[in-house]
Amino acid sequence: MTPVLKTRGLDLSRINLCDALDLAVLVEEEARDRYAEFADQLTLHHTPEAAGFFRWMSGIEERHRLELSERRRERFGTSPARVHLGMIFDVEAPEYDQARAFMSVREALHVALRSEQSAQAFFAAAKEAVTDPETRALFAELEAEEVLHQRLVRQQIEAAPPDPPGDPDDYSDPPVEQ
Amino acid sequence: MATTTTIMPGGRPALTPKDFNSGLKPIWCPGCGDFGVLQGLYRALTAIGREPHEIAFISGIGCSSRIPGYTTVYGFNSVHGRALPIAQGVKLANPDLLVIVAGGDGDGFSIGGGHVAHAVRRNADITYIVMDNQVYGLTKGQLSPTSPKGLRTITSPLGSLEDPVNPLLYVLAYGAGFVAQSTPADMPGMTSILEEAIRYPGFAFVNIQSPCVTFGQEDQQLRAHKTRMKTLASLGHDPSSMSQALERARDYGTELYTGVFYRNPEPPLSHDRLIRLRQEELAKQARPRSQILDAYLQRGGAQ
Repeated sequence: MTPVLKTRGLDLSRINLCDALDLAVLVEEEARDRYAEFADQLTLHHTPEAAGFFRWMSGIEERHRLELSERRRERFGTSPARVHLGMIFDVEAPEYDQARAFMSVREALHVALRSEQSAQAFFAAAKEAVTDPETRALFAELEAEEVLHQRLVRQQIEAAPPDPPGDPDDYSDPPVEQ
Repeated sequence: MATTTTIMPGGRPALTPKDFNSGLKPIWCPGCGDFGVLQGLYRALTAIGREPHEIAFISGIGCSSRIPGYTTVYGFNSVHGRALPIAQGVKLANPDLLVIVAGGDGDGFSIGGGHVAHAVRRNADITYIVMDNQVYGLTKGQLSPTSPKGLRTITSPLGSLEDPVNPLLYVLAYGAGFVAQSTPADMPGMTSILEEAIRYPGFAFVNIQSPCVTFGQEDQQLRAHKTRMKTLASLGHDPSSMSQALERARDYGTELYTGVFYRNPEPPLSHDRLIRLRQEELAKQARPRSQILDAYLQRGGAQ
């Protein structure tokens, strides 16, 4: 069973609002980079439609990152961060095994939906782990945002064209004697 | 643009995983387990804190052996099965380098199988990471040394008749001081194991079950790992016990244990440390340059 809080060296009970904002920025940064990686992978592996969607998602995550960065700067200036990217794993970034060559846009949308759900679960668990009321309020706000994002992705799934017939795995050859 | 920078106690900006990313885009199949291993390595190296120019990454041939090119450290994508001898040479030439070796199960336990024993018994201070996918993926799915018995591949269309090599028992039997296993299905755990292995002062072996999405079996994929894996810590495993390590390593192929099987509680001096000590000893015995001719003549050198 995969834990909700996939972290390393991070004690959420000891973080303050500044740390929480930095953490939120890192969550968006990780997601931005992962979606860009997926876009590159799928471009290379002849799956341009899903690649285009992941590229778009990368842009969305970057926009969120910039908004949170600005908020952090306004409140705490440029004081050094105590948290870093090595502390979190796949919070809003889709796990690497979610990408598949020849995946459809609909499947790519489902990847995004699962990632938003993962982020919601993370912020919900983080909210319970912190003690500072202001930090808890921030995590609650971020959790609510992830719920909103899920709604937007679901709307896109409903509007997406149906998957083409056939299983991409059928394209691979069965074992034959050499 | 606002940025977040972690500051180290000494005031120097800390390394980030991006400092180890060469920017070269991996050409692995989407969904490949090696992406997670690479990300775990970036993070483990960040935690280690050595600069990229202080690290050398040596590999053999195969999908996973492409990994040094995706890092900013010194890299050598070398010869099939020969990563370990080359890495030992690198360590001998420059003992100050942190040397990491990576490759697949075929590279390590078939083509390069003979080298593993000698790297282990020599106790070279290197970390050997095997990305074990139980198949030759790069060449399109032939039987590999760790393929399960009965596996149907293009070179075993009726099913393999051979038992797989057990990489964990293999290195334990030759006396490796650090033996661990993990999977990218557990990214924080895998990263911690990689860091611990790299920090171990001697030969460290990490078997990472890194599935092949194109030619691997369904029960070897990461989603299957998530339900199958059991941490050794949760079993009450004592990593200082060789007998427990051997017992649990026997389950390779049937159970997916993650964690440290064995960590020598009293690591012996590594090969490069022994060489340095011998060099220091020999330097003490050396005569002054002015006496070299006398010593030569005393031994009848002019006859």
